Amino acid sequence: MLELKDVSHVYPNGTRALDHVTLSIPRGMFGLLGPNGAGKSTLMRTVATLQTPTEGTVRFGDIDVIADPERLRRTLGYLPQDFGVYPRVSAYDMLDHMAVLKGIASSGERRTTVERLLVQTNLWSVRKRALAGFSGGMRQRFGIAQALIGNPELIIVDEPTAGLDPEERNRFLNLLAEIGEHVVVILSTHIVDDVSDLCPLMAVLAAGRIQLEGAPLALIEKTRGRIWMKVIDRSELEAAREKYEVISTRLFAGRTVIHVLADKDPGEGFAAVEGGLADVYFSTLAQSRRAA
Amino acid sequence: MFARIAGFELRYQMKNPIFWVAVIIFFLLAFGLTAAPVFPLGGGNVHRNAPVSLMRLQVAFNLFYMFITTAFVANVVVRDDETGFGAMVRSTPITRFQYLVGRFAGAALAAALAWLVIPIAMWFASLMPWLDPDTLGPNGIGGYAYGFFVFGLPDILVTAAIFFVAATLTRSMMWTYVCVLAFAVAWYTLVSIGTQRPEYGDWFGIFEPFGATALGRTVRYWTPAEFNNLLPPLKGVLLINRLLWLAIGAACLALAVNRYRFAEAGAKPDKAEQQDEPALESDASAPLPEARPGSAAWAQFRSRTAVEMKQVFRSPAFLVLMALGALNSGLGLWFGRDLFGTPTLPLAHVVIPVLRGSFFLFPVIISIYYAGELVWRERDRRMHEIVDATPLPDWAYVVPKTAAVSLVLISTLVFSMVIAFGINLGKEWPHFELGKYLLWYLLPVGVEMVMYAILAVFVQSLSPNKYVGWGVMVLFMVATIVLPLLGFSHNLYLPLQTPNEPLSDMNGAGIYWIGAWWFRLYWIAFCIILLVVSHLLWRRGTETRLMPRLRRLPHRLNGSPGVIAGLALLLFVGTGTWIFYNTNILNHYRTIWDREQFQADYEKKYLKYVGLPQPTVSKVVLNVALYPNRIDALIHGSYVLTNLTQAAIPEVHVRTDPDLASSQIVFPGARLKSQDDRFGYRIYTLDRPMQPGETRAMAFTTERKQVGFRNSGNDTRLVTNGTFLNNFEIAPLIGMDRNGLLTDRARRRRYGLPPELRPAKLEDLSATAHNYIHAGWTTSDITVSTVADQIPIAPGRQVSETVANGRRTARFVSNVPILDFFSIQSARYAERHRRYKGIDLTIYYHPPHDFNVDRMLNALQYGLDYYQKNFGPYQFDQVRILEFPDYAGFAQSFANTIPYSEAIGFIADTRDPDKIDAVTYVTAHELGHQWWAHQIIGADMQGSTMLSETLAQYSALMVMKHLYGEDQMRRFLKDELDTYLRARATEGVEEQPLERVENQQYIHYNKGSLVMYLLQQRLGEDAVNRALRTILDKYKFKGAPYPRSIELVDAFRKEAKTPEQQQLITDLFERITIYDLKAIEPTAMLRPDGNWDVTVPVDTRKYYASGKGAETEAPLRDEIEVGLFTAMPGRGKFDRRNVIRIVRMPVHSGRQSFHFVTGVKPTYAGIDPYNFYIDRNSSDNVAPVK
Repeated sequence: MLELKDVSHVYPNGTRALDHVTLSIPRGMFGLLGPNGAGKSTLMRTVATLQTPTEGTVRFGDIDVIADPERLRRTLGYLPQDFGVYPRVSAYDMLDHMAVLKGIASSGERRTTVERLLVQTNLWSVRKRALAGFSGGMRQRFGIAQALIGNPELIIVDEPTAGLDPEERNRFLNLLAEIGEHVVVILSTHIVDDVSDLCPLMAVLAAGRIQLEGAPLALIEKTRGRIWMKVIDRSELEAAREKYEVISTRLFAGRTVIHVLADKDPGEGFAAVEGGLADVYFSTLAQSRRAA
Repeated sequence: MFARIAGFELRYQMKNPIFWVAVIIFFLLAFGLTAAPVFPLGGGNVHRNAPVSLMRLQVAFNLFYMFITTAFVANVVVRDDETGFGAMVRSTPITRFQYLVGRFAGAALAAALAWLVIPIAMWFASLMPWLDPDTLGPNGIGGYAYGFFVFGLPDILVTAAIFFVAATLTRSMMWTYVCVLAFAVAWYTLVSIGTQRPEYGDWFGIFEPFGATALGRTVRYWTPAEFNNLLPPLKGVLLINRLLWLAIGAACLALAVNRYRFAEAGAKPDKAEQQDEPALESDASAPLPEARPGSAAWAQFRSRTAVEMKQVFRSPAFLVLMALGALNSGLGLWFGRDLFGTPTLPLAHVVIPVLRGSFFLFPVIISIYYAGELVWRERDRRMHEIVDATPLPDWAYVVPKTAAVSLVLISTLVFSMVIAFGINLGKEWPHFELGKYLLWYLLPVGVEMVMYAILAVFVQSLSPNKYVGWGVMVLFMVATIVLPLLGFSHNLYLPLQTPNEPLSDMNGAGIYWIGAWWFRLYWIAFCIILLVVSHLLWRRGTETRLMPRLRRLPHRLNGSPGVIAGLALLLFVGTGTWIFYNTNILNHYRTIWDREQFQADYEKKYLKYVGLPQPTVSKVVLNVALYPNRIDALIHGSYVLTNLTQAAIPEVHVRTDPDLASSQIVFPGARLKSQDDRFGYRIYTLDRPMQPGETRAMAFTTERKQVGFRNSGNDTRLVTNGTFLNNFEIAPLIGMDRNGLLTDRARRRRYGLPPELRPAKLEDLSATAHNYIHAGWTTSDITVSTVADQIPIAPGRQVSETVANGRRTARFVSNVPILDFFSIQSARYAERHRRYKGIDLTIYYHPPHDFNVDRMLNALQYGLDYYQKNFGPYQFDQVRILEFPDYAGFAQSFANTIPYSEAIGFIADTRDPDKIDAVTYVTAHELGHQWWAHQIIGADMQGSTMLSETLAQYSALMVMKHLYGEDQMRRFLKDELDTYLRARATEGVEEQPLERVENQQYIHYNKGSLVMYLLQQRLGEDAVNRALRTILDKYKFKGAPYPRSIELVDAFRKEAKTPEQQQLITDLFERITIYDLKAIEPTAMLRPDGNWDVTVPVDTRKYYASGKGAETEAPLRDEIEVGLFTAMPGRGKFDRRNVIRIVRMPVHSGRQSFHFVTGVKPTYAGIDPYNFYIDRNSSDNVAPVK
């Protein structure tokens, strides 16, 4: 459905945010995983017609997004990474206004849309409250509600779970899962679990380039038998980094747990671990850093 | 610690771009205004760089500078919250005092440092070689230092403290700036009321925050000499004002420190109650309605506009602005325009200009401010990514935002009308004239408002952020004010400007609306183009740079934007061409430079002929055909010229108004020697010189008309209803005079003219050959025709009136000699006649304006009685007063005919009997001119107008004195005194003693009133009138030699009986005399016999001033009133019953005491309690008794 070909973007200050990104995204949830500053938001905004890439093409179905952004916008739902709200406006009124902007002219249809979305996003009981007073989760749910107006074919959600508490995050992901069945949903995030929980397909973006692409399970399968774990003291970490390809470290009960990537057992007390998507992700990042 | 924090803050702020922006802007402004000769700094004989001139400009800058100061100090408070750095800073062991005051000191110091560019720029500008050295004085460091320490620094500290506390309390840059705006408007309101109510000047001086009013009060009566040499004394109102505001500033700072909390403010609890209604029954599985963006345009437009408008209407800043606007215009309307304290009825044509003046500023601020807010709103609220990703078409940003701003502006206009109607009700004048408000206010101003909104939106959509956009708009506003002053005055290139449309009840909007609406159409087309460009360049998405948007522009022009822009461009070019054809081809477009150049060239070429002996017009026959509906007048006429001089006249100089559509002159027996069409100057050589006493005939045909419309200066004399022309405007003049030439010294020098154009000296007897209006005594036969529904009037007795072919023709003949200076009038008049002692009194008035007609008739009747009894018989058998439209605010006396403006008198509100009766006063003054100008007229030399204007003032004062008693007179005299003292400071040439007055209004009117009133107090009214009669009898209707002012002074001297009176005449007429009379702490002691011993110590002095204002003390020896009262004279209900005793006592220079024994204890006592003498401090004459 959504085809990106050789998309590059260079900001006026010289930052190359996207570097020949080529992606093909079918219907369903697509996870775009990457660390902060990888170019995820640039990519999302480019697809959402908010900025024109320096080069490359973006097509959605038969729509040339760059030449004809107006057509894509008719079928686009977009939840930006960060958004504010007008002061002194209630959730209901704002959603109603957004419905007009999306092109629902009849007030009856608009009422149906707004009411149903408020129920669906579990905001019905607070619909008369000013948006400015919403909690982070409520605000994100409002964000997805507005993105769903008018049955878009393409939904872009940029880092929607950042800053949400686990319960809110769950609620939000469930909501996404519901809608992700029939349309293209691109979910960008730096949280591995978001992708592993939701997305049948994913890509890893780092330093403006697609580092990895595929189905999470298949990717995990590729690392099977190559991830090793050891618990060490913090003082040993530098030495370990010298010696092995450490893909992640975390603290556990005061000691450091390291994962390393190796084709065979490095010995020295390393134990094989069943790799998760996190290991795939971190090993990809580690490789991209080395390449850079 | 404190010093280090302040130092850090200073260095930090100096790196702030605002610091350098302020330095650049204020350097340029201060340099530009000081170095541009056209900017009226100083003025008259006051140097451009006189200390007070510079201080005034500096203080004016301080109003604008507070926006900069606020940026510095508010930043201190707000930046830590905005950057989120606050928590870290505040968790250090720093104290609140160190943190806040240290930073405040640093920021205020930065503001003060940047401010210093203002005096530096001024000093630098004063060195510029193009400035006329005569307008500059020495550059003393004292003036600059005084300006900095008395005004610059305190103003910065005070405004810094006030807005520091605003920022501390609101923790928001926006709200702080709303406070700044509110402060500015409150200041503006205070100052405007202050100028309308000078009697409370000291209070305004104390409370006006920048010290501008206090400075003005301190130097209010200063002379040019004082301005050029002195620094204002730091005492009295000025000192109190400075200390008061420094104290207020300190209090604000203390409040800020006290109220500042290091802890974050907790989130406010949500006010909306939790809804516990059941969840909506909704079939969540059913598909949502589909979006059809293509057909939602109208709904999108409406919804967007509604949302945008709500944002404005609900924003507190809007309410603040509206409240301030209402206050400002409400006060402006309530006090309205008045004439010697008589208010004017709040008619639509009076109220609308006031509303346009006082309210207009607020909609403009709103359009500029909210255009920025709305254009940047999505971005500021971080909503832009969501909204920009919707299928909303691009026009649905620009158009609704513009529409919202426009609708808000129009609703503010409606609101201002409601205020005006409310004020009308408050004035018990329940007439609303809705149609006029609609056509003259709501519609034109509404259109202008929409255009401002479009322009502001356009600027915002181009600028990189809203602050730049605001800055550009402010510059634009300043430019529209400054450019016309610099001679760039064509409304074709001054964006959104339209020609002035004077309003009048008599003539409605005249023809003036036609040109104005063509200009409006032109600017509407311009705005449509701007709107399309804003649409095409709209920032959508995250790209904010202009260049990429500009590159896309040509491509985006395809389709309807291109068509609309093309049509608008067509309209713009089409209307522009039509306007240019009207203003520059059918009519002449002249800048102020063109006009000055014209005057200068005229003088260089022809002033040399001014004393040339010329024949006098001794009979005039005139036939004036007025076509008021097409602004056309055809004039045929003939003169009989008589040589009244003692010599033969070989050449006759004939002048016509060069703006006449045509002028032909037939002069038998003469040959045209030269004809100069630029100046309308013809010189004829007579075939045979005219011998003394010989007469010749001359015939002429002229036409005055206006075709099309002008950029400015549409004809307001020849109009559809209410024409008022004088013969100088339509008929030839014989000989050259000095009228209409450049008089300002600096301007004259700029054009290489001698610095002064002065009338002949009083001693120059050759100047008695002409009178000062250069019109001799003549007989007249004037026929005026006009459309049938109008009444034509000219001086003389009406001998016939006929109506034929839709035209009314009337013939007026005067065999009594009249001056060859007369009026032609025509309007749809109502008439009211009264026959009084054989004289027909008539008022011709606009039918709805009958409010004061009887009062005018009474004034004429009373005046005739007094003048005939005391001066001599009235020369005609009728007096006519004729209303003319509100395009000028004067009354003018021609022979038995007095054109009288709609603006004064006819619509005066005389319902309150306690107010001064200005209608009677003006009427009596004009009637007085039938003697003083139309029986005798002064020679064309110094002192000429003393014989007409001063004596007409005196005549009116006597009428008022006898009608209303002396108590009312004191209010008049005080007003005259204040006007005289203030006006002499702005004298551009040289102040003259009254007998040498050079047509200076403040001398012949205001000082003249004071002089004549004191004179009749001292000599007696009968003695003064006797003297007047002698001069009248000698010169009545006589030609050259015309009378000189000193002949009247001599007549007064003959009536004077004592050396004191002779001295007084010297001081009043021959010198510029300033008295300083003051009471010093009078006391009263109870005597054993129950009476009171009263002591009144006084300090009395007399000074002679030079023409430039330098004073030297002279010995005072006079008898002046000393009074004891039980109330303050002139205040409240003071009247005769409050007078215990008032006696004239011999007074000499210096201190002395007077002793009285009274039965009642006086509460007030003093010298010259009624302000008969010219005294620069008239309020210390009387003091409370201790």
